[in-house]
Amino acid sequence: MNTSRRNIAPIRAVPVLLGIALAAGLAWPRTTDSQPTAEKRTSGAEHRWTKVSVALPSSENRFPPGKGSEITGQCLICHSAGMVLRQPPLTLDEWVGEINKMRNAFGAPLPADQVAPLAKYLYAINGRHSPGDPPTVDGQGN
Amino acid sequence: MRQSNFRSTQLSRRDLLARVGGVGLAGLLGASPWKAMAATIVELPFVNGRRELVTNFPQKGAMLLQRTRPPLLETPFDVFGHGVFTPNDRFYVRWHLANIPTTIDPATFRLDIRGHVRQPLSLTLDELVDKFEPYEIAAVNQCSGNSRGFFEPRVAGGEWANGAMGNALWKGVRLKDVLDRAGVKAGALQVRFNGLDTGVIPQTPDFMKSLAIDHARDGEVMIAYAMNGEPLPLLNGFPVRLVVPGWYATYWVKMLNDVEVLSAPDDNFWTAKAYTIPDTPFANIVPGQQGVKMIPINRMLPRSFFTNLKDGAVLKVGQATPVRGIAFGGDAALAQVLFSADAGTQWQEARLGPDHGKYSFRQWEVPLRLASRGAHKLMVKAINTAGSAQPDHANWNASGFMRNVIESVSVQAV
Repeated sequence: MNTSRRNIAPIRAVPVLLGIALAAGLAWPRTTDSQPTAEKRTSGAEHRWTKVSVALPSSENRFPPGKGSEITGQCLICHSAGMVLRQPPLTLDEWVGEINKMRNAFGAPLPADQVAPLAKYLYAINGRHSPGDPPTVDGQGN
Repeated sequence: MRQSNFRSTQLSRRDLLARVGGVGLAGLLGASPWKAMAATIVELPFVNGRRELVTNFPQKGAMLLQRTRPPLLETPFDVFGHGVFTPNDRFYVRWHLANIPTTIDPATFRLDIRGHVRQPLSLTLDELVDKFEPYEIAAVNQCSGNSRGFFEPRVAGGEWANGAMGNALWKGVRLKDVLDRAGVKAGALQVRFNGLDTGVIPQTPDFMKSLAIDHARDGEVMIAYAMNGEPLPLLNGFPVRLVVPGWYATYWVKMLNDVEVLSAPDDNFWTAKAYTIPDTPFANIVPGQQGVKMIPINRMLPRSFFTNLKDGAVLKVGQATPVRGIAFGGDAALAQVLFSADAGTQWQEARLGPDHGKYSFRQWEVPLRLASRGAHKLMVKAINTAGSAQPDHANWNASGFMRNVIESVSVQAV
């Protein structure tokens, strides 16, 4: 939005001006409250539609090598690796829970006998060793 | 807490080579170290919080990369200090399913209204604009899981800091007007919304959300074709998306092309099973707590943030410093923003900026003069007109939803 860019320069002047403003009863620094450039129209008729075509970037993330890493190809059918690599460290049970969420809720075509080796791999690259804690994986699709 | 504690660094080649070596970082930076060297890295203040600031998404400026496919892009928090309306090219992005159309042709796009109605409609975009009264509302769109990265203990999911939110002036048509044109039949229970995105494999449930019929017809829920006076960016739902003021963004279905009036409760996965919360105040439970009644996530809670001070800021003793931020009331208007300079012992009312409506961000400001040297913990708390106030202690649930604890920053006076 042009408005906010236009406002950047005045914002920098605000700390200087505010000393004066404070003495005068804290005038609101109007420059920091940007207005969208929305037109105040009573009709929507001016809205013109144009075709939009974009390209979405592909992910450059790779799962690091390790025993079981070959199974992660199944993960990449539906999402890039970064989502997995940016998770907090999880316990082995929590990783199992995440994998089963993908299988049960979203239909990930991962055979049951691949769950344990994939969980072990994910635990190896991003594991949290505190078996006494309650699991914090909810099994929801969010 | 610590929402503005971001450390942004332009990595030099030497720094980069010194830091690379951890498996996770190598993964994050991808295959090309030369390309990665140009990247700005931001450290979000939680474990595994290193994020790349990327500019390679269409119609988007610099955004924090949470996931490339399907895209999850976070608004860098400094954007919120520039004004109460979040620029379209910095507005956060959140998709569930990776099969997202990348070309939208307004000539062929249709919005269908069907189901338990007398006269099904298949509207062109021009018809939507020309044949219904325009409606505008300023409203915050906030991801249910905004701030999930701050949950302690941590929970899995999109590991956002506080930037999975934005405020825009939405323009479009009231959903009520569209439903009235189709003629809702007696016995309608819910309205289900579907967009053009789908899963990659047929086994993945299509992303759909439902609202109760009375909510859908409340005159505020709308179908937006403009955002801050411009068409929506494709990644924010071009050509039209649902706007559900005061409710979490999971209901704001993007690329909306299908509105179905239901005469039986919606049992689809995304409405019935996903996005549920404990039916407790602030959706708060103790980690591991079992047997809690779960309900669909719904109304937003009040929140407030600092925008011009970060943890570790150094202020001069006795010198007046304006402290500023943004706040919103959630599902009700903001009533008060309270500020404390002594870790919550005493509170003073902040001055509020222009009011853009009950669902909008609003600026707050207090003049601060710290009298003594040393560390000071500043806090800010929003209270809405329904009497809901941000809690002293962080709410917690296993999905990482609805965080709204009082925010604080620690500063030094010298």
